[in-house]
Amino acid sequence: MEYLWFKAFHVATVAIWIGGMLMLSLAVAALPASASGTPATPSPMIEAVARWNRWVTSPAMLLAWGLGITMAVQADWFTAPWLLIKLPIVLGLSAVHGALSGRLRRRTGLAGQETPSLLRFAGPATVVGIVVVAILAVAKPV
Amino acid sequence: MRYPDAASIEAARTQMRWMRFVSLLEGTTLVALVFIAVPLKHFAGFPAATSVMGPVHGFAFLLYIWMLAQAASSFAWPKSDIIPLFVMGFIPFGAFVNERRLKRIETDLTLSR
Repeated sequence: MEYLWFKAFHVATVAIWIGGMLMLSLAVAALPASASGTPATPSPMIEAVARWNRWVTSPAMLLAWGLGITMAVQADWFTAPWLLIKLPIVLGLSAVHGALSGRLRRRTGLAGQETPSLLRFAGPATVVGIVVVAILAVAKPV
Repeated sequence: MRYPDAASIEAARTQMRWMRFVSLLEGTTLVALVFIAVPLKHFAGFPAATSVMGPVHGFAFLLYIWMLAQAASSFAWPKSDIIPLFVMGFIPFGAFVNERRLKRIETDLTLSR
């Protein structure tokens, strides 16, 4: 019974995390490019996305990690192949979220720079990552 | 890197202090896992040690990679800083090597005031 509660909140927090990440990837893609040496001007929308990321998306991600690790310990899954494949993908998704958050943090104050080429693929990478994670965690094909 | 005002520098320094704290947390949990919990499991028949330290280090490692990606992107760090910081995260006592690099980066921020 406890497992089902953990699972329910894990899925909910992952949904909030990934939804926030997709919004973040669009916001980063829409950041105004400014001339070197002059600060980028943040729009109210960008500010709202940054606040949401700080107070909703990031805590949801931390909770998703904690709940996922707790379930894996309880069920003794750390030797299961599906989890061993899932973990690096989760690490990658977390790193992409970190890179997006960092890029958005730079929106004010510092001169806006071109979005790094890798971050332009953050949205599609997030979608592919979460689809693979869902297949591994739900269907457990390996 | 130029900062437009003192508040931006202070925010950047706060971020760097958190980065250093999480780096040391990750490094400490890795050392505790490899040099305390694993020997306790294999030589003292105490598997609970790794059952506790493994997940704790797992969480700390995720936090470290997340914060490293955030700081690297936020400060536009060069690969010559990012790669050693990433690699040392996997090596016991590597965090203490990272600490020198992170402290140097934080000092550079102070100098840019």
